Amino acid sequence: MAGALEGVRILDLTWGVAGPIGVLLLAEQGADVIKVEPPDGGPFRQTTGCYVWNRSRRSVTINLQDAEGIELFLKLLETADVLVESFRPGVMQKLGLGYDALEPRFPRLIYCSVPGYPSNSRHAGRPGYDALVQARSGEQYEQPGHRPGPVFLHTPQPSMATMYLVSIGIVAALRARELTGEGQHVETSLYQGVLGYTTQIWQYSENSTPQSRSMMQKTHPLSIHQASIYECDDGEWIHAAATSGMTPKKSPQEILGLPPAPSLREMATISPEERARREEETRAAYKKCKRDELVEQFHENLLGAEAIIPPEEMYAHPQLVANGMVAEVDDPELGPTTQIGIPFTLTRTPGEVKGPQPLLGQHNSEVFGELGVTDAQLEGLKAKGAI
Amino acid sequence: MFALEGIRVLDFGQFLAGPFGTMILADLGAEVIKVEPVRGDGMRMAGKPFLGCQRGKKDIAIDLKRPEGLDIAYKLVERADVVHHNMTKGTAERLKIGYETLKGIKPDIIYCNTWMYGEDGPLAYFGGLDPLAQAAGGLEYEAGPVHEGNPPLWCRFGMGDTTNAFQSVIAVLIALYHRQRTGEGQYVWSSLLNGGALCGSEGFVAKNGTAPPRAKLNKSQTGIHPLYRLYEAYEGWIQIAALKEAHWQALCAGIGRNDLLQDARYATAGARVEHRQELERELEAVFARRTAREWQNLLDGLDVPCEISVDTNDGETVLFDEDNVRQGLVTEYEHPILGRMRQFGHLINFSKTPGNIQGPPPLVGEHTDEIMKWLGYDGDTVAGLKADGVIYASDENYPWPW
Repeated sequence: MAGALEGVRILDLTWGVAGPIGVLLLAEQGADVIKVEPPDGGPFRQTTGCYVWNRSRRSVTINLQDAEGIELFLKLLETADVLVESFRPGVMQKLGLGYDALEPRFPRLIYCSVPGYPSNSRHAGRPGYDALVQARSGEQYEQPGHRPGPVFLHTPQPSMATMYLVSIGIVAALRARELTGEGQHVETSLYQGVLGYTTQIWQYSENSTPQSRSMMQKTHPLSIHQASIYECDDGEWIHAAATSGMTPKKSPQEILGLPPAPSLREMATISPEERARREEETRAAYKKCKRDELVEQFHENLLGAEAIIPPEEMYAHPQLVANGMVAEVDDPELGPTTQIGIPFTLTRTPGEVKGPQPLLGQHNSEVFGELGVTDAQLEGLKAKGAI
Repeated sequence: MFALEGIRVLDFGQFLAGPFGTMILADLGAEVIKVEPVRGDGMRMAGKPFLGCQRGKKDIAIDLKRPEGLDIAYKLVERADVVHHNMTKGTAERLKIGYETLKGIKPDIIYCNTWMYGEDGPLAYFGGLDPLAQAAGGLEYEAGPVHEGNPPLWCRFGMGDTTNAFQSVIAVLIALYHRQRTGEGQYVWSSLLNGGALCGSEGFVAKNGTAPPRAKLNKSQTGIHPLYRLYEAYEGWIQIAALKEAHWQALCAGIGRNDLLQDARYATAGARVEHRQELERELEAVFARRTAREWQNLLDGLDVPCEISVDTNDGETVLFDEDNVRQGLVTEYEHPILGRMRQFGHLINFSKTPGNIQGPPPLVGEHTDEIMKWLGYDGDTVAGLKADGVIYASDENYPWPW
């Protein structure tokens, strides 16, 4: 079976990061996704990630500012189970496409909104680009960088959390619809994505001790995980010597040719100078090693380690390959590409990567044809700017 | 009605990558029973990371290595819809709670395992921590950024664990939907490695093994574009996102630098990226002259997207923000030991099946007695099993006071 969501049709009106990936995760579990784009494609279409995040769906163009465009959109909506949109709160209402307007006509529709801030937030009217939400939520200040002050998070963290909330919200609502027969409005936002990712550090409890409060506090610049990053030969880097849950055959010190690590008790008695000297000695030992050989040695000895690589090098990772997380996708613009695969596996209904990012409006005649719109009528709509 | 009304989840997980996922399922209205070792979840000592992944669960503490303990677990499985954990490969089988075994007890069970690496392959048996997923997905390299000569940077939010947990939730929900339509259960899995890779998926490989150009972080870790970055103000920092032509023109007018509009080096969006360093130097000097608050007031009036980058004092101002409380983005409850607790609230708003945050993180075995009674054990048997160390119920001598 191609995927558990076979027979579920999603209209995707999103752009950016969170919406398209949230939809992608469902498209590759069998959902039939139709991306509804403005006739000019919008500004985000050509950003690099979109080649990956917009794949496995069909594309049609509709001008939602145009009355005939809206009419066509509503006709398409008759065939859909889910609509996903990522406009600023209020935009869909202005188009006459808000949930309240659609619900009476489409009671089974699951309508998912993904704005920057929740629609009832006092910030709802503010622009919701990812980095702006990073700033306003305080996420940038929580990340210790190589200098004091807030840090721009290269991975768009708010979006990269919210993409999961989009998928979760939609499937939970599909499940509820099986029980009640009713659709509903589901909303999540980049701001809520931030909250999800900070669960380990943003908490308050009245009776917690000073020790527990300091446990996850921001330290600048080092934290325990930052401190286990080491430079190797040739300017390459390793994240080294983490636990594997198994009993190691050799210690990191044995592998690196260093004196044995002090016990925790000894550690407490070592002077700061001596500690710094040992740290320097350790860093020097790493610097002499070839990164890839060292990763291999750590793994052979049942210690955790990973090479720190730019993302495009990850597709050579043997475990990522074994996970089916490396997909070959023939893109109509870029040619053959290697991209990520499907990040979770349902063994009975595994789903599949269904194809590259479609060209803008590639499926206009196919999809609108299914609605009974003839090619001649499409030409007319095109001439009027409705599609 | 809640979206996961009537769904019972058994959570055999510990630490983060498993328990955070089942917490999200609980927030959607599932009944989640945490099956905890009698000596406690290995993460309890860490405080916040534990508390951030456990709310709303019932808790029974069982020694699964004792046959009587395993019997109790099997009785729970008979009554469950979902089994969820993050043990490394092979561990559940050794504990006799692997999928094949539990499927024999409950044929339509949905069984989710979610851990570091993956089902098969050279590292399948390795456990691992969040930073390894961040390294392998290219995230630490990009955050440094190493290509500018900086060391790599580990992201403090630990999203390797969190992404993995979210993925497991999606897999479980889709499997539940499938079961509803067909009656079939199944085995599902996800990994931290896959989550890290998805977060780094902007980097992919096209023709000749090269990566299509993508936006890269600058050396000062302030942004990826002269008009999509942080600037240090006279006081504070401001993030701008002047990505459209109209924003650029309004920005230049607002900062009193209409001359930049005439400058050929900045005439087009492409030119502004090409002359990124010069433009950033110009803007750095401008923004340093006023406070972030003044800049925001000014730019808001001109519709130039921007935000002050705020320091929340480790989330405190977020958790105590009245507007967040009003919206249910923050939740508060009473913990028997920790007193009043605050955590984030609803991550998703449903118009007809609201979320259900069911209460504080449980104590070890807090609901052992209640659950044992529900399973049909009489008081004497329960007392005997407790005395024998097969089960545990927390009492006033709770061993992990924070």
